[in-house]
Amino acid sequence: MAYVSMGEAHRRITEYLNRFCDAVSYQDSSTLCRLLSFSSNSPPLLSLADALNVFQDASSLIRQSDKFSEYGEILAHLFRSLQSYRVGNLVEAYLAFEKFANAFVQEFRNWESAWALEALYVVCYEIRILAEKADKELTSNGKSPEKLKAAGSLLMKVFGVLAGKGPKRVGALYVTCQLFKTYFKLGTVNLCRSVIRSIETARIFDFEEFPRRDKVTYMYYTGRLEVFNENFPAADTKLSYALQYCNPKRERNIRMILKYLIPVKLSIGIIPKDELLQNYNLHEYTKIVQALRKGDLRLLRHALQEHEDRFLRSGVYLVLEKLELQVYQRLMKKIYIIQKLSDPARAHQLKLEVIAKALRWLEMDMDLDEVECIMTILIYKNLVKGYLAHKSKVVVLSKQDPFPKLNGKPVGS
Amino acid sequence: MNRRNRGSSSSSSRVSNTYGNRQFSDNPRTGSGGGVNESFQRRSDAPHKRNNEKDESKHKDEDPADVSFIVGTCSSMCPERERVTRERLRDLAVFERLYGNPSKSSTEIAVKKFCRTLSAADVQASDVRPLPVLEETLRYLLSLLDSKEHPFEVVHDFIFDRTRSIRQDLSIQNLANERVIYLYEEMVKFHVISHKRLQSCSGTSISSMHHLNMEQLAKTLTSLYNIYDANRKPDYIYENEAEFRSLYVLLHLNPSNGVMGEPLSLWFRKLTFALVKSKEICFVRNLLRLYRMGNYKNFLSRTASEATYLQYCISEHHIREMRLVAVQYINNVCYKLQPYPLLRLSQNLKMKELDVESLCHECGLETCTDPDGFTVLPVKQSTFRSPEDKFKVYDLIGIERIKMSI
Repeated sequence: MAYVSMGEAHRRITEYLNRFCDAVSYQDSSTLCRLLSFSSNSPPLLSLADALNVFQDASSLIRQSDKFSEYGEILAHLFRSLQSYRVGNLVEAYLAFEKFANAFVQEFRNWESAWALEALYVVCYEIRILAEKADKELTSNGKSPEKLKAAGSLLMKVFGVLAGKGPKRVGALYVTCQLFKTYFKLGTVNLCRSVIRSIETARIFDFEEFPRRDKVTYMYYTGRLEVFNENFPAADTKLSYALQYCNPKRERNIRMILKYLIPVKLSIGIIPKDELLQNYNLHEYTKIVQALRKGDLRLLRHALQEHEDRFLRSGVYLVLEKLELQVYQRLMKKIYIIQKLSDPARAHQLKLEVIAKALRWLEMDMDLDEVECIMTILIYKNLVKGYLAHKSKVVVLSKQDPFPKLNGKPVGS
Repeated sequence: MNRRNRGSSSSSSRVSNTYGNRQFSDNPRTGSGGGVNESFQRRSDAPHKRNNEKDESKHKDEDPADVSFIVGTCSSMCPERERVTRERLRDLAVFERLYGNPSKSSTEIAVKKFCRTLSAADVQASDVRPLPVLEETLRYLLSLLDSKEHPFEVVHDFIFDRTRSIRQDLSIQNLANERVIYLYEEMVKFHVISHKRLQSCSGTSISSMHHLNMEQLAKTLTSLYNIYDANRKPDYIYENEAEFRSLYVLLHLNPSNGVMGEPLSLWFRKLTFALVKSKEICFVRNLLRLYRMGNYKNFLSRTASEATYLQYCISEHHIREMRLVAVQYINNVCYKLQPYPLLRLSQNLKMKELDVESLCHECGLETCTDPDGFTVLPVKQSTFRSPEDKFKVYDLIGIERIKMSI
């Protein structure tokens, strides 16, 4: 911590107080944002923090002037938070910030117009980030982390404040997204449901009114929820929306959307180009795509195993596992094409023996009963058109379009 | 001590506004009471925050939370007060009656009932059983499972209610150590075995009993998982943890089943590496893949050869589903001029041939005999339908290897 003289400390604190109160008086949202953004670690804020730690009695400064004492409670908590933040006391910093946030939201309610919405966003963001840091500190001290959960409650409160008829309501989606991030981090994803319901069914909200950036984030998270619930058509719609409207310069965000969109698209038979995977560094899907193209079951199994942990964590493992049937379909098609080259008249007859041999080459040992079972599934689910003559141990393919494409629908629908 | 959502069914924070609430179970039925409407009314549980930790009260910025957990002092399976009152009100279950006397019990056989909380007041320590007594109580209750004197529904009902009370006492006292793990595991086992045995019972209330049992099974499992988590040592899994975790997967094989809890994709995220790699979890993940694919042959043969008894009990419904799928698929895709031999089908479905025939008939499909005398299923029949009886169970050939243990 840098050395600061008392006089200099006094000056810095007074300067901040003036800035803050002026920002509020003149409804200068962008200045206010800068004044509240702890996580930016901006030099002015850090130097203010140093000053506070030297001066120690900032409250007396606040009380001295009417201009400052109007926001006395807000400022006192804010300063306490900043002081703790500076010396690395993150739990204390969070607790004070929470009090600040509560007081700030009270004031915000009283302001007629929505001028301070951006500043409110900053408060919401900061509280989430601080809570995460506080929880890390708690865990490392062997205690149970529960600040992020508390932050979630506060965010819900803020949501409630914004969910009204006035101009402030366009801020609700931003807060929703902060809530999503909180719940996803906590793993309490089911809590998203109530806020989603509010956004999607409350009459005061018109989805189109919300800022684009928030809509994209919202669709990203709700799309991911659809993936968890294995609701693929809905996941496709939402994630595709997010992709379409996402700022193309935000490569990291695009990558995040694609991470979930690709498995969804794969499950409805749409395969991404290799360049896409390369450009966005999505190599975990390379072998999977290859396996689908080649009908290589061994490669699919291998790819799933190689990135098992990553796929499980992101929740796409089960989606990718289901691609197995499509890989089988591709394999059957290959066998058919090869047979067509050597004996066109009989190509449409797939002997179970031949299929079993192909599978053995892929290091998958199956008896004929199991091969028959697989073929039964493929035919029933319309991945293969034809019938099974079990006595003759052969699958007879339809002469027309024996391997129908999925056409954007999941298997078996 | 680290604890997160207990999610226990002992809803100690649920407050009822109507004093004189007499409903003890979710379902109004003549159950664990003696059939008398006036029932013993208990003072509610102590109000306590579910997720607080004792450290919190030391935090200077927090309001001193009500962190004092009761330490029970009741030394018998049923608090004396309750026993005396229930004797007077003739509210004794059959198992609690001394020589069949509906108004006389004893400390050896009376067991504390589960009670929904009424208006918030304090719980007396003398009404709460400490851990050793709870252990003894559970041991006693489970010993009744094999009772031949009464129909299973009656046995189940009693143990169902009394174990719920055990969970309530555990929750009030915030007990979540390793010994408690054992208790929860035994209670889960009870629900799993009931799940199976209720299927072969008949009666109008069986279906709701079954449903309630599933509900409590899910809740007890969740509580168990929380306790595992609370006692987690790095990269360590309890002896039985993998098997008990695997049960969750089997309960959620079909996403539209409506069993409470998170979707599997979400649930897997939270498993530790050790659990994901465990034999039991690998096994059920495989079953999950096979089930979702519709691979009846492999699903059935693996279940028959590798499932544990508990896994098998939970899987009975899915075994039936896979068999129905097989019949449906085969009827649909096979060549009309080649009826499918039932012998072959029975081998693939791990069933006796006569059972397969019965299953086909249940689906509205006819079977017949071919010129060589073998029973076959003519295919492409248009009369296939889902059977009415959801619960009919056929043997799984190969499962006899499991010694039935409780």
